[in-house]
Amino acid sequence: MIPALGRTLILLALLAASGGALVGFATGARPTALGWLWARRLAYAFAAFMALANVVMEYALLSHDFSVSYVAHVGSRSVPTWVSMVSLWSSLEGSILFWGLVMGVYVAVATWQNRDKHPEYMPYAVGVWLACGAFFSFLLAGPAQPFATVPSPAMDGPGPNALLQNHYLMVIHPPFLYSGYVGMTIPFGLACAALLVGRLGHDFIRPLRNFLLLPWIFLTVAIVLGGWWAYEVLGWGGYWAWDPVENASFLPWLTATAALHSALLVERKGVLKGWTVTLVIGTYLLTILGTFMTRSGVFNSVHSFTQSAIGPTILLFLAAALIFSVVLLTLRVDTLVPDGTLETGPSRDAVFLVQNLLFVLFTFTVLLGTVFPLVVEAARGVQMSVGRPYFDRMSVPIGVALLFVMGVGPALPWGRATGQQVRSALLPPLLTAAAFAIVGLALEVRNSWTLLALFFGGFTAQVTISEILLPVRQRMRAHGEGFLEAFGQARRRGQRRFGAYIVHAGALLAIVAIGVSSTMGTSKEIQLRQGESTTLGAYALTFVNAERVSEPHRQSARARMDISKNGRPIGSLYPSMNQYESQREPIGTPAVRTSLTEDLYLSIHNIDVDARSVGLLVLVNPMVGWIWIATAIMALGGLVALVPSWRGASVSVAAREPIVAASPEGSG
Amino acid sequence: MATTPVPGAAPVRASRMNPWVLAAGLAVVVPLLAILVLNLGRDPHSVRSPLIGRPAPAFSLPPVGGGAPISLESLRGRPVVINFWATWCVPCFEEHAALTAAARTFREAQFLGVVYEDEELKTQAFLAERGSSYPSLMDADGRTAIAFGVFGVPETFFIDGSGRIVEKYVGPMDRRTIAELIARAKGGAP
Amino acid sequence: MKRLAFALLVLVALPPLAAAQVSRAPAAPAGGIGAPRSQPLSGAELDARTNDIGALLRCPVCQGLSVADSPSSMARNMKTEVRDKLAAGYDQEQILASFERSYGEFVRLDPPMRGVNWLVWLGPLAGLVAGGAAVAWALKRSSRNAAAEATDPASAPSDLPSRDTLPADARLAGAVRRARELAYGWPDGIPPKPRSSAS
Repeated sequence: MIPALGRTLILLALLAASGGALVGFATGARPTALGWLWARRLAYAFAAFMALANVVMEYALLSHDFSVSYVAHVGSRSVPTWVSMVSLWSSLEGSILFWGLVMGVYVAVATWQNRDKHPEYMPYAVGVWLACGAFFSFLLAGPAQPFATVPSPAMDGPGPNALLQNHYLMVIHPPFLYSGYVGMTIPFGLACAALLVGRLGHDFIRPLRNFLLLPWIFLTVAIVLGGWWAYEVLGWGGYWAWDPVENASFLPWLTATAALHSALLVERKGVLKGWTVTLVIGTYLLTILGTFMTRSGVFNSVHSFTQSAIGPTILLFLAAALIFSVVLLTLRVDTLVPDGTLETGPSRDAVFLVQNLLFVLFTFTVLLGTVFPLVVEAARGVQMSVGRPYFDRMSVPIGVALLFVMGVGPALPWGRATGQQVRSALLPPLLTAAAFAIVGLALEVRNSWTLLALFFGGFTAQVTISEILLPVRQRMRAHGEGFLEAFGQARRRGQRRFGAYIVHAGALLAIVAIGVSSTMGTSKEIQLRQGESTTLGAYALTFVNAERVSEPHRQSARARMDISKNGRPIGSLYPSMNQYESQREPIGTPAVRTSLTEDLYLSIHNIDVDARSVGLLVLVNPMVGWIWIATAIMALGGLVALVPSWRGASVSVAAREPIVAASPEGSG
Repeated sequence: MATTPVPGAAPVRASRMNPWVLAAGLAVVVPLLAILVLNLGRDPHSVRSPLIGRPAPAFSLPPVGGGAPISLESLRGRPVVINFWATWCVPCFEEHAALTAAARTFREAQFLGVVYEDEELKTQAFLAERGSSYPSLMDADGRTAIAFGVFGVPETFFIDGSGRIVEKYVGPMDRRTIAELIARAKGGAP
Repeated sequence: MKRLAFALLVLVALPPLAAAQVSRAPAAPAGGIGAPRSQPLSGAELDARTNDIGALLRCPVCQGLSVADSPSSMARNMKTEVRDKLAAGYDQEQILASFERSYGEFVRLDPPMRGVNWLVWLGPLAGLVAGGAAVAWALKRSSRNAAAEATDPASAPSDLPSRDTLPADARLAGAVRRARELAYGWPDGIPPKPRSSAS
């Protein structure tokens, strides 16, 4: 009964989405109130059917109904309940079902929020969204059917992949990732609507930007959560390996960030409309490419789902979406006429363009490196790898350049600046920059890229903080307010700008932390017998004992390591090696001790409980904790920038700033 | 595309083609799709061996249970079949019977097993229980596996009389495949 | 501005150029790798170089991890082999070539410079140059448009406030925009550009 119910719900979702897409496009071409009403209803219906299908699947997973094919695939009676719950997104078909749920929620929210606004755009937008929704419903109805009936259901199932049961991050990483990834569908629809209508007005850039920022926040957190997961779970001591699937999540993030910045120029000056729309469309296309990379089995990756028949289907959709986008842009981009001009001399405008260029270059480089092994295979018939050394070498200078531009841009005023103004804007931060670099040298930083990152980090930090405080200081002077009151007032009037600079602060912290942690770490591999000690840096580690731990789904061998730092004991760490029934190789769980300055990271290579010996990898990674903190700051800044706009607050129009001393009040 | 007309409103611009956008779009879309389509169906996990047609790497390894080391050099002149295996590898159980029988049938070829990442005692116990008709060698430090470019087990190499690798077979073997590949190895003998 | 752009260009272009000098690689030799070409290493330098070269080799049984990072026994054996070769005096290219003989080009994580592989190194550089040209062109066109607007008699009436300036109050701003829309036919109350060029 359950499989049939699930299949029916998916079929209904497919019908609602297909019908709604047609109604949406028809209503866009010939606007009628009835057409818009039905487009909305079908959008809500799609969302409802998808949600119900997910509820049914969760019920099947939790009640261990092995007559449902997906449950037979990943369900198990011997795993904890939370594992059963998250199995919804642990494997191929279930993850697409989850994709449908997230899409349904986004489409419903976006439709409802704009149900009586932007009447000439919205039907087109809903049409595009539901066309995408129809594709995913089709996948679920056909190639990736999770609700197929198993003729003679077994009593138990294999459970999800052991690696996914190892850590609670499995609960939050995929929902965040999908909320970011799938959410990019909404701005895609809005951008296509703008092209189809032939206008990108001041009012419409607002929802476009909001619905770009919301998934962006999720995606930022999700990417870093993935890195954290690799760090805490996989045990090789790093957090980013430039694996194709990791890159698949990173590529749309890059173009979305570029789009957020160029959308700011659209809102402020009415320029770069066509470019922004192109970036938004590119972001969505990269998410489809990304899902193809993850699910087609064509790319060599530790994350990829096993090869399946849905690869060619997704490729067909990708081709259709690419062709549709190119045709739409070719025919309609010229209708997005600019309302102003870019400032050409040394000014923030020009730096915006450079920053956009850097983001797009980064995207191109990562995409090229990821796809290149396929190119060589097709051209020379030889299998080769493009791995971490290549990506690290390419991304370091781009990251440092972005760090620099993130400082220079806000330092310069919006209008054309004189040489005198440029000098007085850029000189003071240079002093802070030099101070940071000197501190780095004193702390024995010798890698030139890391020193450069510290230098530019100091530069950008000074600029960012002074930009945050600028309106506060102006209010204190002009209105005689105290610091706190001025801060509150300035924040309220310029909350988007405030949020943006918080994001910048987080980003610069992340880049500097990544630079330092990648180049300043120390490591040691050692074999220890019971009672033996070893040292690394200021730490001394003693192997106290090893014991076996039995859990229903795995057997673990756990080592107790007593740690002391600079002679003082600071506790114990318990790295372990876990043996799952379904895997030949055991999977290690590292033990990490995080402090503000550095992480002490222990990973077991081999352990023999009876012989009382353990082979360990010991790492001291500086500043890694700051990467996670920086990401939280970025997410917080995004929320701060998003919230007032969401409530449809006062129309804050960019006041054209006088050339002397920018007045940022009320600006975004 | 229709918009509600406003008195005196600027007319909606008629759309024309932007050739630059079209060119840029095609420059991105066509190669990307071509590459993805061409690579559909390929398995990224199966890597072809570069050693085929080249001389097999030299080695000299002790047999399981001790004894004088056996070197590949000493077997020149006859086809050699080298099977990398381990006791923890389930497909290796499956092919063990086929290989043992083939070694008795094709006496002109020398069969050798090379134990990959395993313990000597376990291997001895396995061979004692299952029987064997050819020696298995212990590759203690894994150097020989690396030299042969082994990705996992079971992998079987067919070498002709002059020491060249004729074929590498990944996965468990059956009698017919063994026969075919030995015929090819014999065909290349001087 | 131009100096800034040039500085960034150099900054970003350096690593690919440097890489091109360093790792130009012939195909792996069919015979042996030859005699050791460099000095034998020992001690801390041996450890450091082993790690460096290990980071350039792909662990064949893992997914994408380097030999330096992977805990698997195959990777550890490969690392020992790298160490032994370094101690015997082989240089980096020889060691990489010896693994390439056994496993193929697949085992090198840094694509060696031969044939079509050049594309992956020069591609980003070409992208940077092309992108820089595009930015320069966009800025130049912008200044041309600004000049044209200044001399264009059909631009916005001078006795009205600048098109970007609206009252801070939301309702008032909306009313002004609606009035402009009705009076001048400007969509959203913002005057369209007289030219038909895209942004």
